[in-house]
Parts: sequence; C-alpha cells; structure tokens
Amino acid sequence: MTPAARFTRAALAAIPPIMLTLAIPFANREEPRILGFPFLLAWMVFWVAVTPVFLLTANRLRRTP
Amino acid sequence: MKPETLALTIIAAVILGTIAFALLSVRRLKMDPHEFIVGSRSFGALLLWILLAGEIYTSFTFLGAAGWAYGKGAATFYILAYGTVAYCIGFFLLPPIWRLGKDHGLLTLPDLFIHRYGSKPLGIAVAVLQFLLVVPYVTLQLTGLQILLTIAGYGQYNATAAVSVAFTLMALFVFTAGLRGTAWASVVKDALVLGAILFAGIAIPIRFFGSPLGMIDHVLKLHPHWLTLPPPGATNAAYTVPWFVTTILLSGVGFFMGPANAPAIYSAKNAETLRRNMVYMPLYQLVLVFAFFAGLTALAVTPGLKGPAADQSFMLVMQHYYSPAALGIVASAGCLAALLPASTLLLGAASVFSKNVLGDWLNAATGDRQRTMATRILVLIVAFLALTLWIFFKTSLVDLLLFYYVGITQLAPGVIFAIAWPRVGAAAVAAGLVAGECLGYFSVHFAIAPGGINGGFYALLINAAICILIALAFPEKKKPAGVPAG
Repeated sequence: MTPAARFTRAALAAIPPIMLTLAIPFANREEPRILGFPFLLAWMVFWVAVTPVFLLTANRLRRTP
Repeated sequence: MKPETLALTIIAAVILGTIAFALLSVRRLKMDPHEFIVGSRSFGALLLWILLAGEIYTSFTFLGAAGWAYGKGAATFYILAYGTVAYCIGFFLLPPIWRLGKDHGLLTLPDLFIHRYGSKPLGIAVAVLQFLLVVPYVTLQLTGLQILLTIAGYGQYNATAAVSVAFTLMALFVFTAGLRGTAWASVVKDALVLGAILFAGIAIPIRFFGSPLGMIDHVLKLHPHWLTLPPPGATNAAYTVPWFVTTILLSGVGFFMGPANAPAIYSAKNAETLRRNMVYMPLYQLVLVFAFFAGLTALAVTPGLKGPAADQSFMLVMQHYYSPAALGIVASAGCLAALLPASTLLLGAASVFSKNVLGDWLNAATGDRQRTMATRILVLIVAFLALTLWIFFKTSLVDLLLFYYVGITQLAPGVIFAIAWPRVGAAAVAAGLVAGECLGYFSVHFAIAPGGINGGFYALLINAAICILIALAFPEKKKPAGVPAG
C-alpha cells in the first residue's frame, strides 16, 4: 500500500469521529429540526449512520493496490 | 394467574430456554483453554458480531440509556457516539491484535503486554488491574437485574433472592459452556433485546403521543432545551459540551480494553471478519435511539423519578399500562441483557486470572487440563465474589463503577503503542499506566473536572504523554518480538 493510500484510509476513518466529537460545539442546537428530530440528535444519527460508508471505502483502499 | 406470577414465569422460561439452546449448540465440544477462552479462534461473522455487540446491549444501555434520557436529557446521546468512535479506531487496531494472538497463541490482553513488551511483571499488573476493575462492573449488571425483577414482580417480592438464583445459574452455565456457549446464548439475547427496544421506543410513544416525533414535541414543550447540551451554569451543568466530547473520546478509546474484549477479538476466524464487523457495527448502535425514545416517553408519562430511580423509567410505564405478559417479555429481554454481558465478563476475568496470575506469576495450572479446570472454577469464584460484594455493599460501589471506565481506558496507550510504535518499551508503558491510574482515581474520587472536561480524559492524556516522552528519551533498542507488518 502506498503512503498516499495509507493516509487516505486514516483520513476517511477519522472523519466520523471528528464529526461526533470536535464538531459537537457547532451541532449543539435544537433548530433546524430535521424530520422532526432536534438538530443535535439528527446530526449524531446521521454521522453514525454514514460511518459504514467511510469504513467500507477505507477497506476497499486496503485491497486495491 | 396473578400478574406477578405470570411475568416472572415468562422471565424464568426465557432464561432457562436460552441456556438450554446454548448448551445444545456446544454439546459435542471438547474443552481445552483455546476452546473455552477464545472459541478455538474459529468464529465467523455472525458469532463475532454478536460477541462484539455484547457491549452495546448490556443492562446499562437497556436501562441506563433510557434512564439518562429521562434524568439528564441530551447527555445520553454520548452513548450513541462512543461506540462509533471505537469502531473507527478498532478498524485499524483489532486486525494486528488478532494477528499477534493467532501467531503467538495469546489468550488475554495481558498476554499481549507480556509478548510485545517482554515483561511479565507488566502483564501481571495489567491482569490484576483488569480483574479488580471488572468485579464492580459485574455488580452493575446485578443492580440492573434487580430493577427488572422488582418491577416484573410488581413489588411483591424481595428481588435479591431471585437475582442470586439467576446469577448463580448463569455462572454454572459459563462453567459448562465457555465462550462459544455464551456467544450462542447472546444470539437469543440480541434478538429479544432488539425487539424489546424497538417496542419500547416505537409502540409506547405511539400509544401516548401518536408517534415518536409527537412525543419529542411534547417533551420539548414540558422541558425546553432538554435535547441540547446545557450552556455552562445551567441545571445539569455537569453535562456540558466539553464533558460530552471528552467522555465520548475517553469511552471510545477504552472500548476494547476490558477483560472480555481481547478473547472476543482473538475468537475471530480471520482479520477480515474483524474489519467487516467494525464497518457495519455502527448501524447496530442506531437502535439506541429507540432506547432514548423510551426514556423520553417515560419522562412525559410518569414524571418525578429522581437520581438512580430514573433507570426504572420505561419499565414502570410498561408495568402501569401494559399486560403482565408484555411486561414479562420485555423484562426477560432486559434480564438477558444483564446476565450475558455479566457472563462474558466473568469468563474474561477468570481467564485473565488463571492464565496470567496463576500461570505466569505463580507457575500453577500450566497444563491444558489444569488450566481449563482452573478457569472454570475461577468463573464460580468471581461470580461468588461479585454477588457477595453486591449484596453487602450495593450503594458504596458507585465510585468504583465510575472508576471502571476511567481505569480500564488507561490500558489503551499500552495497547495502541504495542501495535503502532516499536520504540515504546515496558518501562514507558508502566510509568504512563501508573500515572494514569493514580490521576484517574483521584479525579473520580474527588469529582475533579477542570473546565468541565471528564477528569479521566486528563489522566489518559498524561498517561500517553509520559509514555511518549520516555519512549523518545529511552527508545527500545532491540527490535520487539513479532510486531506484524502492514
């Protein structure tokens, strides 16, 4: 695996944890409501739900040279 | 039939049925330590999924996630996030841990420390630490069990006796069936818990408020700003944004450090099975949203529960408004959610003690047959210890429970550097660990949290910093044994 691929993998896997931690100060609000969910909960549900997409892509990168 | 008899009969039938199912699935196996402790390293995607998910559906999540939504509001959302953080770390961390285990026949996390850092005392210290920390964690599950049995018994019985019987039964089950049996029993548990949480988070809000979203509107009308983190200085001010973020990071980093986790990782058939599990596991966590809904509904329907009583939230709604049969089924799911994580913890603690304390330290029980027998007997001893502690010191354990998370997470730098940085040696890890544990203990004991940040997080940072500084000043000279490439 090339250093660039290694870096891309790490960066991909780092995005959801950053959105669920460091980005929380900006997401800590009730409005706008998303499908009736308060914004903070919607934000967290969204990032948990899309984490598999990020990790799956990282896993693909591992196998293609 | 009286309602309490019906509900409790259902619970007993479910627990016995689960045990019988699991015993049938392991009846032809010969038990040696590799089978008993790490399932002969043969688990495919399903069993591994169920084992790794054990952490998600414990009684802490079943009752605690709802209880926090009831008592603390948005702070409960941290439970949704820390697992996802852990899976993103585990995606990189677990495959090399598995590879080391496979190549060198490791059974426990202390085995990894002994193998990688070449220091028996360090491994034994880790073993003792894991062992001591896990007992209060088991007692937490017993408290969850007591809440469920008390509510399902409509307050007609003293639940202590029932808790003791159920837990003893479970310990005997682990004694017989080992890790594979526990994994099969968890299949039943997860199916039931999934059903119960979906019911509690969807059907109960629909009954009272038309839909879960109607329920959210209602809760926000009664309690404005309940679903956002409070600004500094508000009521609930302990649960501000800095606390939230650092607690997610702390719990995420410490997720795989308990005595039950390393055996679960080693039980995987191959590294790809682990990676795939990490990829999809976050989806399973989403179910927790419905546990939040259940707790929030209870807040609107039966307000007034204070402090730890909030853990009873939606189960009390079940008791008041639903039939004894429905109560019994949901409570039985909760009982399994307490008993099965407790059994993997028993097994993990017993394995660590027999392998690393008896074997590595005292040179006892080193043959395969003796080690299996020692592990089995230790399962019963740990169970007895936890039960005794729980019966006599129920209320004074809170300190220790908070310390469990902070304490177990201090093992993370040692594990991460074992994989990622060959320059780190035993002395660096030991120094960081000692500093982290001492600081962590004081921060929990005196409830110190400067700047609203989780005190354990400072301990973890200082632990890692000490580790890094010593590694930079005195790098490990010889190439450490068996760090895998790639």
